Amino acid sequence: MNAAVRRSGGRAVGMAAVLAVVFLTAGPPDRLSAQDSQYSIRGLGMPGRWESVRARSSAGAFAPFDPLSPLMEAAMADVGRLTATAGEGTSYREVIVGDTTTRLRGTRFPLMAIVGQVAPRLAVAAGFTTYLDKSWDVTQRDSGVLRGTMERFTDEITSDGSVGDLRLAAAARLSRGIAIGAGVHLLAGSTRMTAARRFDDSTFHVVQQLAEVRYGGLGVSGSVLIGLAPGLSIAGWARSDGRLRAKVGDATSAETDLPRMAGGGVRLAPSPSARFAASVAWRSWSSAGAGAFDTWSWSAGGEFGKGRVPFRLGARGGQLPFGPGTTAPTEFAATAGTGRAFAQGRALVDIGVERLERRGGGLTERVWTVLVGLTVRP
Amino acid sequence: MTRRRLAFIGAVLVAAACVERVAAPGRCPSFCPSGQITIVDTLLAGSISGDSAFRGYVLAYQSSVMLASDTPLVDGRPIFRINGLGARRVITAGDTTTGAILGADSARLQISITRRDSSMRNLSLRFYRLPITIDTSTRFADLIGPFAASPVHTLNVDALLAQPGRKDSVTGDSVVADDTVSHQLVLSLKLDAAAARYLAADSGTVAYGLRIAADSFASIALGKGSLGPVLQWYLRVDSAGTSVARTPGSLGVAFGSFVHDPPPAPPDSTLAVGGVPSARSILRVAFPRSLRDSTQIIRATLFLLPAVPARGAPADSFVVEVRSVLADFGAKSPIDPRLGDTTVIHVGATDTLAVEVTNLLQLWAADSTLPTTLMLRARAEVQSFGEVRFYPSIAQAFRPALEVTFVRPFPFGVP
Repeated sequence: MNAAVRRSGGRAVGMAAVLAVVFLTAGPPDRLSAQDSQYSIRGLGMPGRWESVRARSSAGAFAPFDPLSPLMEAAMADVGRLTATAGEGTSYREVIVGDTTTRLRGTRFPLMAIVGQVAPRLAVAAGFTTYLDKSWDVTQRDSGVLRGTMERFTDEITSDGSVGDLRLAAAARLSRGIAIGAGVHLLAGSTRMTAARRFDDSTFHVVQQLAEVRYGGLGVSGSVLIGLAPGLSIAGWARSDGRLRAKVGDATSAETDLPRMAGGGVRLAPSPSARFAASVAWRSWSSAGAGAFDTWSWSAGGEFGKGRVPFRLGARGGQLPFGPGTTAPTEFAATAGTGRAFAQGRALVDIGVERLERRGGGLTERVWTVLVGLTVRP
Repeated sequence: MTRRRLAFIGAVLVAAACVERVAAPGRCPSFCPSGQITIVDTLLAGSISGDSAFRGYVLAYQSSVMLASDTPLVDGRPIFRINGLGARRVITAGDTTTGAILGADSARLQISITRRDSSMRNLSLRFYRLPITIDTSTRFADLIGPFAASPVHTLNVDALLAQPGRKDSVTGDSVVADDTVSHQLVLSLKLDAAAARYLAADSGTVAYGLRIAADSFASIALGKGSLGPVLQWYLRVDSAGTSVARTPGSLGVAFGSFVHDPPPAPPDSTLAVGGVPSARSILRVAFPRSLRDSTQIIRATLFLLPAVPARGAPADSFVVEVRSVLADFGAKSPIDPRLGDTTVIHVGATDTLAVEVTNLLQLWAADSTLPTTLMLRARAEVQSFGEVRFYPSIAQAFRPALEVTFVRPFPFGVP
């Protein structure tokens, strides 16, 4: 019987390994993005969500307490054994402007992390997540006077890539009730940008310019996790990022201040089969320049079931950092998800679905996102 | 159990299948990038200098056609020589015995009209006997006498085309081929003994000249080389005191050219292109460094103002092409065969000419080692009398100019 279980578990781990290979090799580094948005076009980009698929399935409410979510480091202190996780999201997006609806879609690989205990009270982690998604493609019909004649043309400006957050973090448990963590963040990435103009009058050749824009920056973060009582924990975190430097070739094209941010959360587990959490975060994105706003965001969610197939749900809302006008666009999302453990818990597949709506500046985005996460504990 | 797991994993993979569609209409400026494509249009009026014209690249006898014209502007006359068979001829094939060529009963001359104006009416061809000494140095004035004599043969092309079977039973002339697509017309002319005199003293060499006329301005081109003219002799040969008929093989032209009046205008300060002998003009462009670096040229137009109306037969528009050179050696600059831009010149036109030279300037921008020199020439040199003369750069008010439309570097990386 034990041998049969081991064989079955071995197959599951093998399949999980195949899935891991699929996830980790399916997209090149410049596709490591979270989720596209029209709100990312004018501004630095769309900030990523630093949550594992498991945490995101409950709207991110559990992210401060999830050792595999790169939001906070202190939660890693109790990870126990070496664990690797990766996530993937496929979004189906409707962009509604006035009477015009455009349907878009994209697949992103926003997360990979490896966490392990290196000493009885010390855990370290390495991995990456999306800091800013910068993938978009805008087409526009317009006209202008050229050589004394009104010329009609079509512009297409595209950006494909992202800024990744490469994190090296450590967490330590100071006592039964307190764990702390800290991390350094290397912000790196690139976008392949093109600008094209096609004139209706073919006498004018097609305008075609392209460049690879490289980004770089640094950040630090710290966090604390406090167990107030059995089943009740609170968490707090803070992070400060420096400046994001954009370079085209050897020339620096822009330097932008990145935000300071802080947040906290509370988790309540009244019974082994029910867990609840809520979190809040503030980010000073207005330092990024004109058209940027400080943001607040919140989330609340629950996870039910103590077996191998839990059920998760949650809701979140908040503001977006970039948008037209004088007020920040807003977003609201509801999520649900589940997971499945294989091989005596050594392989976990999490799936989730998110319905998101963003509003602001006369534009509405409605997004369905299917999330798939894989966690392996060899 | 395993099947259920595989189905679960399969469903996960299907849900995660990679798809991508990110292009959306822009709603500007709110949801468009802050940077925009900036296009600049500039007239480089003073950028062309060091321009000059040269003549003599292709001479009349080097042309692939012989030009005939009868217009107030130019009188063109094809001339050609066909070398003879000698004074004696083998009487019987396989036998070395020869007999003196006594003369010719007749001959048949085949010519090809490779270009003609289909609206031209009553096109007539008049053939004249010329001295067999004609060569590359022969000029129009040298042949005034022979052309003043009576023609040895006359043909009305339109009348021949109207004949049943396109054959004139009286003269023996006929139409061999009439290509309605290319308008190429092949004629076979019967020359009687008087027109086709086989003189043993000249080894049977004959030379003919051609004048044309029509109701309106006449202008045609006759093919050379494989396209004629071809002469078929019908000879009388002495065979032991008996005159016998012999038909040797057809003979092609040994020399074919044309003469014309007036001769080309002497060189002046204008920029001549085309004509006979062909003229080319060279323009040196001070290509601004700002255009070379970090910009994309999307349109460049060379403006040229004719100093005099374009000359030539009224129906013979011609094509002028602008090319860059591989090296600037003045008149002997080797032309870069890769790229060229063209424009059509209509005879009599005096309007400013605009030639799109975008390809050439893009090439200069991409390769800074190339000389920024333009060469103007007729695309088909010495295949028509068409010639145009443009104002040079020293004529400040009418000088050649370049208008360049280019794109400034897009501000990539700026939020």
